[in-house]
Amino acid sequence: MAQVATVKFLWRIVDLIVGGVFICTGAIKAFDPIRFASDIDNYKILPWAIAVGLAFYLPWLEIFCGIALILRRFYLGGLSILAGLISVFVIATVAAKVRGLDITCGCFGHASKKWNFSTHLGLDLVLFGLVIFLLFAWGRNFSASQR
Amino acid sequence: MRQALILVALAFLPGIGQAIYFRDKVSWKLPVSASEMVTVVQARAWGENAIWIDARPDEEFARDHVPGALSLNEDRWNELLPQFLAVWSPEKKIVVYCSSQSCNASREVAHRLRNQAQPPMQNVFVLEGGWEEWLKSRQ
Repeated sequence: MAQVATVKFLWRIVDLIVGGVFICTGAIKAFDPIRFASDIDNYKILPWAIAVGLAFYLPWLEIFCGIALILRRFYLGGLSILAGLISVFVIATVAAKVRGLDITCGCFGHASKKWNFSTHLGLDLVLFGLVIFLLFAWGRNFSASQR
Repeated sequence: MRQALILVALAFLPGIGQAIYFRDKVSWKLPVSASEMVTVVQARAWGENAIWIDARPDEEFARDHVPGALSLNEDRWNELLPQFLAVWSPEKKIVVYCSSQSCNASREVAHRLRNQAQPPMQNVFVLEGGWEEWLKSRQ
């Protein structure tokens, strides 16, 4: 019983951490969308117009998903979107590195521009791991509630 | 799936609002308008009327740079800006470059010079292709 309570407590803490991180990074990017558009453009994957559109849109998606995690409303939807977003960030970052592009990642807003490739990738992977943990925890809890 | 779609749809609302708010501040056509870009050939032709600004990190500037260029990067903006202001005059053209076409530092330094420097500066140009293009033009 105590173990279940500990897992639920840990689950809640991870919820707050992941939700908080995405609200913060989303807010940083939403505050300066033009710079975020430049960061997206640096990857040289998308046309500039799409980079601008994403720069206006993605930060808010991150913020809403972060809020969903903290409030536990639309929880699974928020987690699924965040897992998808982080996967895209990781793939784009690795692809840029392979192509030898001199980029600022943009994943954690423009404030992260001084971070090197390993730091960006490491943080992305840690966040991805936490999101997977939350999906796993939600799945177990859902299965238990069905029994 | 339904939850994800609702979140995706919700995020459009502030995104569209912000796009409307920023409609005059960002071009949807080019990251830097064509009039703010300059080629190596054009910039060289300006000769003494141009001040070259190297927006790359200090160590790259120390390794090599365009002859006569001044270092002005965002890492040490407050330290380096005075030495630039000492040689700047309104009639001179400013050419900012970073490592390559894909780098962003030159756009940012140009943006700050235009919008945040005191006094705000006109005639600020970003070098197309950056340092890589400069090296090619030397060969």
